Amino acid sequence: MLKLDEILVTRNWVGKPVQRQEDLRLVKGEGSYVDDLEMDCHHAAILRSPHAHARIKKIDVSKALALKGVIAVLTGQEVAAQTKPISARAITRPATQYVMAVDKVRYVGEPVAVVAAEDRYIAEDALELIEVDYEALPPVVTLEDALKPDAPLVFEEAGSNVLMHDLMEHGDFAGACQEADLLLKETFKVHRYSSTPLEPWAIIAKYQKGSDAFLVWANDQQHGRSITNVCNTLGIPTHKLRLMVPDSGGGFGIKLALWPYIVILSLLAKKANKPVKWIQTRREHLTAGSHAPDANVEIELALKKDGRILAVGIKDTQNDGSFVHTAGIYGLIKFATMVGCYNIKATKAELLSVVTNKGPTVQNRGVGKPTMIFVLERMVDLAAKKLGLDPSEIRFRNFVKPEQMPYTTPSGEIYESGDYPECLRRALELVGYEELKRRRDAARKNGKYLGIGISAGVEPGTSNLGYYYTARGTPEYTGNAEGAIVSVDYDGNVNVLLGSADTGQGHATTTAQVIADMLAITPDNVSMNSHVDSLISPFLGHSGVYSNKFNDVDLGAVVMATKKIRDKMLRLAAHMLELDVNQLKLKDGKICSAKDEAKAVSFKEIASLAYKKILFLPAGEEPGLKEIAYYRNPIAKLPNRKDFNIQLTHANSVHIAVVEVDVQSGMIEFLKYGIVHDCGRQIHPGIVEGMAIGSTVHGVGASLLEEFVYNEDGQLLSTTFMDYMKPLAMGVPKFELAHMESPCPYTLLGTKAVGEGGSLPSLAAIANAVEDALAPFGVKVTSLPITPEKVVRAVTESKQI
Amino acid sequence: MHRIKLKINGQDLENEVDARLLLVHYIREKARLTGTHVGCDTGNCGACTVIFNGKAIKSCMTLAAQADGAEIMTIEGLAKNGLHPIQKAFMEKFAIQCGYCTPGMVMSAYGLLSANPSPDEAEIREALEGNLCMCTGYQQIIEAVARAAEGMRGAGKK
Repeated sequence: MLKLDEILVTRNWVGKPVQRQEDLRLVKGEGSYVDDLEMDCHHAAILRSPHAHARIKKIDVSKALALKGVIAVLTGQEVAAQTKPISARAITRPATQYVMAVDKVRYVGEPVAVVAAEDRYIAEDALELIEVDYEALPPVVTLEDALKPDAPLVFEEAGSNVLMHDLMEHGDFAGACQEADLLLKETFKVHRYSSTPLEPWAIIAKYQKGSDAFLVWANDQQHGRSITNVCNTLGIPTHKLRLMVPDSGGGFGIKLALWPYIVILSLLAKKANKPVKWIQTRREHLTAGSHAPDANVEIELALKKDGRILAVGIKDTQNDGSFVHTAGIYGLIKFATMVGCYNIKATKAELLSVVTNKGPTVQNRGVGKPTMIFVLERMVDLAAKKLGLDPSEIRFRNFVKPEQMPYTTPSGEIYESGDYPECLRRALELVGYEELKRRRDAARKNGKYLGIGISAGVEPGTSNLGYYYTARGTPEYTGNAEGAIVSVDYDGNVNVLLGSADTGQGHATTTAQVIADMLAITPDNVSMNSHVDSLISPFLGHSGVYSNKFNDVDLGAVVMATKKIRDKMLRLAAHMLELDVNQLKLKDGKICSAKDEAKAVSFKEIASLAYKKILFLPAGEEPGLKEIAYYRNPIAKLPNRKDFNIQLTHANSVHIAVVEVDVQSGMIEFLKYGIVHDCGRQIHPGIVEGMAIGSTVHGVGASLLEEFVYNEDGQLLSTTFMDYMKPLAMGVPKFELAHMESPCPYTLLGTKAVGEGGSLPSLAAIANAVEDALAPFGVKVTSLPITPEKVVRAVTESKQI
Repeated sequence: MHRIKLKINGQDLENEVDARLLLVHYIREKARLTGTHVGCDTGNCGACTVIFNGKAIKSCMTLAAQADGAEIMTIEGLAKNGLHPIQKAFMEKFAIQCGYCTPGMVMSAYGLLSANPSPDEAEIREALEGNLCMCTGYQQIIEAVARAAEGMRGAGKK
């Protein structure tokens, strides 16, 4: 691997909070999101199932077609006739599902028919004219319903509602339990929630008759995989689909699997013979977009009397709803954080993916890791109570120590660097822990209920996509990698195309900082178009913006492509200056003699040689200054059930939440919230701060406010932001933030993940704080979200939240 | 159909509109000012906030027909002779991630600072309660509005 000193020739930009390149147009309202693209389009609206589970007996679209302004209607039957079923990634039982419901609907909101009309208002009118004859079937809503022996089947051909069931042990789990002084068991219920990007899904599809090909614009987070999925589903070769991703108004994983709608829109555009635009409404997004699944997690800890944890075991049952593509993913990824920040030698995991008549699930920010850290960090607190230890002390006794780095967990996850004990020490200092405890105890005497909650989390990044093998044999995608194209233009400025789009992370800015320090120029000389175009951008099956891979493989590709350009420019400069390459250095947009800076050629002069004066090029040198590089993470392991790594970088943090609970109203107020986190080397502290806080607020929403509530018929009751409550500027804590920097030895720049960040440890920090506040009432927190109603009930009767 | 005459960002417009056409759709599709966004359809998210006769309103909760005779400013009309201090402060404090909420946030902040040039932190948080940001967790946005207020007061004194 290249060393940092070989990569960066100046240190003027990396690590500095430079102005974001993206912001000028965004702050002026000049972004170009899908709905902003100027195009003569028809507009689509989708008829969705009002039933959770029903047979479709008949669909009559004739009245809708007769409405003035309606161009075309497609039903599920017509779509299924032209497509293959949705491909599955993790489940092991057969389950056939098409991108639109065919003879059966499986969740409220499943697409049944789609209309193209001259405007959206007419398209919506037309939906009301489509007559569908349903025969209602008994719905399966909760995990308990789905697991009954006589439960109705969501997919009859599967023969069960459990579509994946796996069991894996690593280390001597039984031995550890025997050796233990204390076995602690608890069951936690985690609810359905979503990070709900502010811009919902948006797609424009255009069919080009002449070439029999599709052009699609979509705010897709993982176009590398979508291209494969859409083409396979439509049965067309790859070159018949050009997929473009313009600005995207937030992603958080929720835009990773919108490709079934690209299939629908493509077929509709073909039928309408004109581009068709579909902008998902918020109600559609909340109902039939995608959620994180709800889950029951049974967890056991085997402990010694002194608080040392010998083993952790989980039985993880996920309510994956009814989208076969992503079902099962939330169980498997838990191995990335199975032992948290702790030196635990044995693990056991029984993983179940259960289908129900709830809506689809997809990889929401953190993908199961927030649940894993939540149950583990709750258990650590419960164990501390049992053993009479301070919550900080039990953590100190179990942390992986810095001298153990790189540390390999029982299943093979490699924690590459970090100082977990120091992170907790700094967090305790940041919030003034001892003083807070005195304040809490004094407040209790006055009938005020303050609580302090500590949570330590590993925050992994960069998926090794090979982990799906655990249940399905060798997976289609393994490892992780990304591509970049870097060029120097006529003027000597640098242009970059990356294989992944941006959903708000400031990739263009960060990339420009790195390149500026690689070429001794300023970030203003570097421009990156963060949009993706599958015809022009480099891409791999892995391409996309997910699992915090940007800092690792995306920047890795940028570095390697820039290095190729730099090497070539050095060769050309050596030729022009009649010197050896090793006699040269880069300075201020020029390459000059290390001894005599007056002997120099500018990037522009080098470009002039490369692009125009090609007869003067040195022998064997190709014209042009454009390089492509693909970069893969070097530590991804091959599929092997005994030894595998799910993710490839591991940032870490400690969160300490301080809350006051009003036991009369059940309201929870934040008094303090401290975060110390370590995401390795930071490229842009301003961006990192925004990510660390923003991701934590996702945890605030998930732990206190947000929940997709279904009734017994499988109807979703929280379908707008009036019922599905997001955190507001009022009510979120004012965060105190401190950083540590333990560079990652396996990424080129020493960077680690920061995007999912706070969404992992925050759930337990808040839950632990609430339980601490309610300690005088003996309340135990075993479920989320912690609503005012649950708090009041727990205090007065149930003693459990 | 209704005939409406209005001014957006100082420009006179006159159109026939359907009674049910939302103002936000008029702004985006008829006036082709796409900086005003739609994020929720229920008045919760504030991405569609514009200044309507001097006050910040949600244009998805307003019919285009109701805008007859109105004077509207959208995000595109805010920058005059360079960026507005609120816009500058959003950039300086890294209050922008995906940018989708940004125009609405900036217009709400403009509405706040027009009415209250010296808001404290609690007042800023309260004023932005009708604007959702899914990316930032609000902290840098609140800091940006405070900085903008400070800058505008400073400029006013000169």
